[in-house]
Amino acid sequence: MKNGRFYVGLVGVALVVTYLVWTGISDSMVYYLTPAELLAKVEQDRSFHGVGVKVSGKVVSGSYHKGDEDFVHLFQVHDIEHPDVAFPVVYRNVLPDTFTDDTEVVLEGRYGEDGVFHAKTLLTKCGSRYEAAPADLAGQGTAE
Amino acid sequence: MVTFGALLLVGFAMFLILHPIISGTEAPLESAGEDPSDAQFRKRVSLLQLRDAEYEFAMGKLSEEDYHALRKVVSAEALAAIRAEEAEATLAGGSAELSGDADLEEEIAGVRARLKGGVFCSECGYPNGVESRFCSECGSPLQSPRISPAS
Amino acid sequence: MTALGEFALWIALPIAFWGMVMGFVGGYHKRGELVLSGERSVHVVFILLVLASLGIINAFLTDQFQYWYVAGYSNRDLDTYFKISGLWAGQRGSLVFWAVLVAFFASITVFQNRNRNREFMPYVVGVLQGILGFFLVVLLFAKVNPFEQLGFVPADGQGLNPQLQNYWMTIHPPVLYLGFTAFTIPFAFAMAALLSGRLDSRWIVLTRRWTLLSWFFLTNGVIFGMRWAYEELGWGGYWFWDPVENASLLPWLTATAFLHSVMIQENRGMLKVWNMSLVLLTFLLTIFATFLTRSGLIESVHTFAQNTSIAFIFLVFMGSLFVAAVILIVYRLPALRSENQIESFVSREAAFLLNNLVLLGAAFAILWGTMFPLVSEAFTGQSIAVGPPFFNRVNLPIGLVLLALTGIGPVIAWRRATGRNLTRNFAMPLGVGAAVSIAFISLGVRDGYVLATFGLSAFVLAIVAVEFWKGTQARARIEGEGYATAFIHLVGRNRRRWGGYIVHVGIVLIFTAFAGRAFEVEVRKALNPGETVSVASPFGHVYTLIYEGISSSREQNFDRWVALMTVERNGSPVGSMSTERRFYRVNRQMVTEVGIRSTPMEDLYVILADVEDFDGIVANDPDAQRIVVQVMVNPLVPWIWYGGVIITIGSLIALWPAAEVVRRRRVLAVEEESPEALAGAASA
Repeated sequence: MKNGRFYVGLVGVALVVTYLVWTGISDSMVYYLTPAELLAKVEQDRSFHGVGVKVSGKVVSGSYHKGDEDFVHLFQVHDIEHPDVAFPVVYRNVLPDTFTDDTEVVLEGRYGEDGVFHAKTLLTKCGSRYEAAPADLAGQGTAE
Repeated sequence: MVTFGALLLVGFAMFLILHPIISGTEAPLESAGEDPSDAQFRKRVSLLQLRDAEYEFAMGKLSEEDYHALRKVVSAEALAAIRAEEAEATLAGGSAELSGDADLEEEIAGVRARLKGGVFCSECGYPNGVESRFCSECGSPLQSPRISPAS
Repeated sequence: MTALGEFALWIALPIAFWGMVMGFVGGYHKRGELVLSGERSVHVVFILLVLASLGIINAFLTDQFQYWYVAGYSNRDLDTYFKISGLWAGQRGSLVFWAVLVAFFASITVFQNRNRNREFMPYVVGVLQGILGFFLVVLLFAKVNPFEQLGFVPADGQGLNPQLQNYWMTIHPPVLYLGFTAFTIPFAFAMAALLSGRLDSRWIVLTRRWTLLSWFFLTNGVIFGMRWAYEELGWGGYWFWDPVENASLLPWLTATAFLHSVMIQENRGMLKVWNMSLVLLTFLLTIFATFLTRSGLIESVHTFAQNTSIAFIFLVFMGSLFVAAVILIVYRLPALRSENQIESFVSREAAFLLNNLVLLGAAFAILWGTMFPLVSEAFTGQSIAVGPPFFNRVNLPIGLVLLALTGIGPVIAWRRATGRNLTRNFAMPLGVGAAVSIAFISLGVRDGYVLATFGLSAFVLAIVAVEFWKGTQARARIEGEGYATAFIHLVGRNRRRWGGYIVHVGIVLIFTAFAGRAFEVEVRKALNPGETVSVASPFGHVYTLIYEGISSSREQNFDRWVALMTVERNGSPVGSMSTERRFYRVNRQMVTEVGIRSTPMEDLYVILADVEDFDGIVANDPDAQRIVVQVMVNPLVPWIWYGGVIITIGSLIALWPAAEVVRRRRVLAVEEESPEALAGAASA
């Protein structure tokens, strides 16, 4: 068949890539949950304590304090939709610059049996990171 | 001030864009002999392949057998393209003016001339130039057979 | 001026659509006056978009905070060059920026081709104006008008995000955008080829320079982005497989594939449908990159605000383009038949094809991984994320295959490589590669990927070196020139090939630099003035940093606390470096500026992780000087930037027109050689 080799090569590479993608996803996929979903999952299934997950929530205002050692950070994270649902987080690394009270954060780590989320990575998800919200400027008064 | 500028802008734009339609000025729709034809294009490609083959042979990347085999195939393609080009030119009514591939053709001829009468090293196969007495690649003394352009 | 700019945007829209109609109708019905009108509209739209851009920049420079966009990205004390770059700082302005770049390239194309390629041009005009029309529709009707006004005039703007107040911010977006937008031209010509029925390799040859130009900008744009992340995000890394990073990488991968596969179509008349599809795919991916960034579809560190009407418009646009192009390709399938076939798996055609398949495989994998959370949420209701481990796992093997092909491709024979060809050309370089790998094994390196990378890099470099050497030698012999002259003529005669080799050298450097990450070293310590922290470089020496002290000062836009360190290498002082924290007052945001000390083989990278007592320092309290630092040695990272420079040199060589091309315009743009005056016979 004409161009047979072309198709053989195509199929071959496609198979290899599919294999890599398949195993890659199975190996490294993590559930992406809200705090409420995480707590619900843990309630249902105690073994979920050991599973790596990604959690998106908001830092509870005023909850941040440094740990006893350097590089240890402690704070509370609450669910954006259900602000009363919260749990404590411990993070042992350099804090991102944009981390402040009330920022949205994305954590990756484990929710331990001790009821504390041990975060391996911490990203701040600043909704308005690049986008302005000049409506806030309304209170500032006008220029001449 | 702004309104004036805006009106000026619109007027200018309208003039530029509508002028051709009103006056009937046309943009050329055919490239009058500017663009090369398909046959000329194919010929150019074949010549480039020949040129590259000559250089790769001179560099020792191609063995003599591979070189001759490649040359045979590509030369056939080049010839076919040249014939097609001549046919096109005859159809167009003019004489077959060879397109400006003269530079490539001369380059190929030049490479061949230098190689012609040169010698293959019996030790390493490197195609040496006409004047060489010792192989440029491995240093062995050179003897015949000499390189000749095969058919 | 600003008002004029806004007006210009509004009248550009009907003119763009007029141009689109004129181009298509004039081309189809062979009405030259319509085509001329369409071509004129291309220039007019360009001028209008320039006015619109100048209007925006003017608004920034004159602090016109009544404009939503200006208020959101500027403040009175902002440095002037950040005000100017406000044009591309945010979503709205960057759409105008994109459009003006497309219009610029369109205008050049129309001008260049006023007497050439006339069968293509009407359709080229139609396509380009259609695309511009789309962007104008988005700007004016999708609630993203940069000229939107607040209804009142704030006293000051919100200021620019501090992480964007960085030199690279003024360079990275424009260069990347130049890459994205330049690719519109090859796409337009491909569509014109389909529409006009002229489906030989002509459209490829015509657009070769544009493709290379686009690729050149894309590569540099991505590298600048890496530099920016490295300097500004301050974690010692330069790539995070962030969705927006991935989005910019996707068209780069397919453009690289296209750059190579065109050579197969030129030389052997194969892969015509493949090339058409690749152009379409690459162009769609450039639009997708902007779509992903602008619509906030995937959350990421980069993402801009959510705006669903934009998402809808973009999807419709991309979808319609895709459908139209596929219909055209299917319609023209007979004319797109291959003239030859792949004769052997061991040939240059096969190597290039493998290169393409592997690059596309990487693109597919990255796209899949990036979209996976969305897809899984759509199908299972549960959002599932994949992170860097997935992307690394898939792309590391692919990278190795690509690296190997970089060496194999240039040297393996066309059509069918014989055993002779293989041993002749690959024996020595393979030996070099193996030797290098073994050398590193003996140095204690056990990581398979690292060993493979170093070995293959050596393999490729050996091949390129031999190519240059043998080529120069052959030419010197044949033309009777000195070696230096021969080298210059050799490269000058075939810029695409030799420029390409130089680009490959740059790529090799970058891949080697990636392997250096396996040897990163990191140390963390709290320091009081006078105390030291030591970190051992994998190259054997030891850096010692002596913390001198921290001082504070007040700048135009921010307050800063600067920690000064003296650097010693194996005990002897070699200089000093600083790392600092800045508080941008208007944005109320704290930013860390890392300290980087670059030497050719590695970077010494210091992060001011924490300052105990900010106020104490300002008050000059001597007890407030305790800091916490993270010190890293990043081996081989400078080779990324060096590689970028080499790629630039190689690309420029490949792009550079031979002087004679201008004169020999009537021949194809296969402008690699300088013509000699005499005619000669082609075949014996």
